[in-house]
Amino acid sequence: MSIINYAHKEISFKIVYYGTGVAGKTANLQYIYRGLPDVNRGNMVSLATGDDRTLFFDFLPVSAVTVRNFVAKFQLYTVPGQVYYNMTRKLVLRGVDGVVFVADSQWDRLRENVESFRNLEENMKEYGYNLDEIPYVIQYNKRDLPNVAPVEYLEYMLNRKSRRVPYFESVAVEGKGVFDTLNTVSRMVLVAGFGQEQGALNESK
Amino acid sequence: MSQNDNLAIHEEDAERINGVLLHFLGESGAMEALLIDRSGQLLARGGASRSLDTVSLSALAAGAFSSTAAMARLLGETEFTMLFHQGVKESIHVAAVDEHAILLAIFDSRTTVGMVRLFAKEAGTAVGAILAETRTRPQRTGVLSTPLHKDEVQSSFRERPV
Repeated sequence: MSIINYAHKEISFKIVYYGTGVAGKTANLQYIYRGLPDVNRGNMVSLATGDDRTLFFDFLPVSAVTVRNFVAKFQLYTVPGQVYYNMTRKLVLRGVDGVVFVADSQWDRLRENVESFRNLEENMKEYGYNLDEIPYVIQYNKRDLPNVAPVEYLEYMLNRKSRRVPYFESVAVEGKGVFDTLNTVSRMVLVAGFGQEQGALNESK
Repeated sequence: MSQNDNLAIHEEDAERINGVLLHFLGESGAMEALLIDRSGQLLARGGASRSLDTVSLSALAAGAFSSTAAMARLLGETEFTMLFHQGVKESIHVAAVDEHAILLAIFDSRTTVGMVRLFAKEAGTAVGAILAETRTRPQRTGVLSTPLHKDEVQSSFRERPV
């Protein structure tokens, strides 16, 4: 949910990085944290297990855009990817304005990706949100690994709803594709938050 | 998502909320009060102006409160209406305001959890009424009332030069 604060001249949005375990959601936030100038980001909070798997969420507040003298702030969250953490995943989705679905491109993770996407749809529905309406993008991560599926195949598996969404190839640990993903989803969220003027954003890549 | 989930706090609402938070601090003896949306976003802050990462605090408090609500549901309760973390010097009290917001108070040994709890309930009711009124008003007014033009939505986040 967007929050407009007229007194502070701020608009805040929540963007959630979703996807299967070890897909690279936390790696996205870590790269953004390292890559952004201090003035554009707050502290990054990670609630992780001893072996660095996300237990509850990672959190990183960022801001860079000023629209009509209002500062647009984006709160970036990740969810824990493991199947058994669904209750916490659902809690993190509360009030979401935009989603980045991070898919693990490796052949042997295809099934988990599809299940995670279905899980996203189900959890969104429980809040009354609809993926046909809410801004989201797909990021095909780990493109540097040898055993990855072709993007066309991943697109066929994951990006075939009535509304095709922008997608990005990435190597999150190295930063490839990370900022393209962030910039696109944040723009989409901003436009959706304001109500879109014709031609304000072409969603197809 | 439903537009009703979105929230716009206009300047006059912000002033009224701030008034309630300051009154709460005066009565309870707490040092800081944060009004937080349950999605984790800070709505208003009252009290000491020390350097405090209120953005992270809000996200974490909302997470903690929502996870205890989930625990409550496992017991058949609707939710636990308050959360209390006791520290050596400072403690945190979080109370439900309404279905959308929570009120976090930071206090030390100059007051008691009982006092904070008592006045947090009162403040929560007052703030809840203001928020309910806020939700009935148009969200985008003035410069925000028209849709964005394409020139206004350029790429924004840039990596700092290495």
